[in-house]
Amino acid sequence: MKLFASDNRTQLKVLSAVFAVVIVLAAFDSAFAQQKISRRFPAPKNVRFELKNVTGTITVETWDRDEIQVTALMDNRKATFNPRQTESGLVIDIVGDNRGRNDVGDMNFKIQLPSRSSVDLETRSGQIKVQNVQGDLVRAHIWTSGDIQMLGVNAARVFASNTSGDIFFDGEFVSGGTYEFKSGRGTISLQLPASCGFHLVATSSVKRISMGPFWDERRMQLLGEGRRITGDVGDGRASVTITNYQGEIKFFRR
Amino acid sequence: MNCENYQTLLSDFVDGALPAEDCTRLELHLSSCRDCTDARNDLSVIIDFCREQRGVYDPVPNQQAMWLRISNLIEAENGSANQVQAPTPETGWLFRLMHRSFSFGQLAGAVGAAVVIVTMATAFSVYRVANVAPSMRMPDIRTSVGSGATIDDRIRQQQETIAYWNQRVELNKARWNPQMRETFERNLGVIDAAVNDSIEQLKVNPHDAVSEDILNDALNDKVALLKEFSDL
Repeated sequence: MKLFASDNRTQLKVLSAVFAVVIVLAAFDSAFAQQKISRRFPAPKNVRFELKNVTGTITVETWDRDEIQVTALMDNRKATFNPRQTESGLVIDIVGDNRGRNDVGDMNFKIQLPSRSSVDLETRSGQIKVQNVQGDLVRAHIWTSGDIQMLGVNAARVFASNTSGDIFFDGEFVSGGTYEFKSGRGTISLQLPASCGFHLVATSSVKRISMGPFWDERRMQLLGEGRRITGDVGDGRASVTITNYQGEIKFFRR
Repeated sequence: MNCENYQTLLSDFVDGALPAEDCTRLELHLSSCRDCTDARNDLSVIIDFCREQRGVYDPVPNQQAMWLRISNLIEAENGSANQVQAPTPETGWLFRLMHRSFSFGQLAGAVGAAVVIVTMATAFSVYRVANVAPSMRMPDIRTSVGSGATIDDRIRQQQETIAYWNQRVELNKARWNPQMRETFERNLGVIDAAVNDSIEQLKVNPHDAVSEDILNDALNDKVALLKEFSDL
């Protein structure tokens, strides 16, 4: 007894072929739904780069060329991406460019720029990573959730803040510089060279501040039942303010 | 042009009534100036709000009767004020003083006496301020935190701002995708927890400067977060 008649076998083959074509088309569609855009811009000395994103990852790296390369990977091909060159540098405002739209989706950026650049980054959610920037300003702000990593940063003004997520800073404090780190719930970790000097005001509502090798009971004091530590490390010339509502603050020696 | 000059153009810019040349200059400036961009955004939010609220007020049932009542009230108040305030020539010392004529010598003497009194009072006040004990000086904001009224006032002021921006957020929240809504709610909860914790701490110890700093920070963060998400 035959399990399938010849007509049935033909139908089965046709159905299999159609199914395979559908799968291939679906794979192509998902692959091409994302759009990758890469653009280069000339960068004068001490250029300032500003990026205001909605959601997605932002990675900033330095290179030896006098130009900025912006590579954007966009979930939604209809999202607007319109970098603007200004007198001081380059501005990308995804929020402004897509105002009133709710289908922007994730936009992941990779930025390459000269090391002497200032960087001002902001997103509503997502990760921010900044490496080896040595300009005047490095600012990273996440309105809601996301981690911030700053590696090899040596700038006179550094600001890093989020509501939920960890903040990790590995860099140096310039004498006379200003450094602010703030999180609602997450661990703030600072990895610093032994020679650095700064005046510290560190506040953690949950009393979890670990100064590690930088603790000096003669030059530091605990306030508010251990929720705040103030005092000087080294020459005390840089100003460091750290606030964490529900998380921990940790210092490490590099 | 500086920021102040540019900001005077913002209203026409938002209305679309600015000449093309000014429009181009302003747009160029906005692309590089965060303060002016914020001012533009604030103005847009206010105008949008007014447009949305236009026409929501119900008309008064009987306008003529309402105006009659207002008119009667004004007349009644004017009448009673006249009765209370009008001085009678027999009893009002100020009336008699104003209507009396003085010689030049009398006027010069009165002015001289006034100058001497004011000078002495000023010198005495300066002496008192310079020599007052530190504990009696005007308290700065940080030390006045201890009084419950100061904290309550500050919270109340902030709550009014928060209520406004919260209303704006609620209007738009329905359009957000579920993931964004969940992220926003969760993070707002983190800030609210910090606000509530510091308020509880301040109830236990009203002089706790650390809790007061955290409260201020958290309230400011909440306003900023609501403001940022209000135009999403």
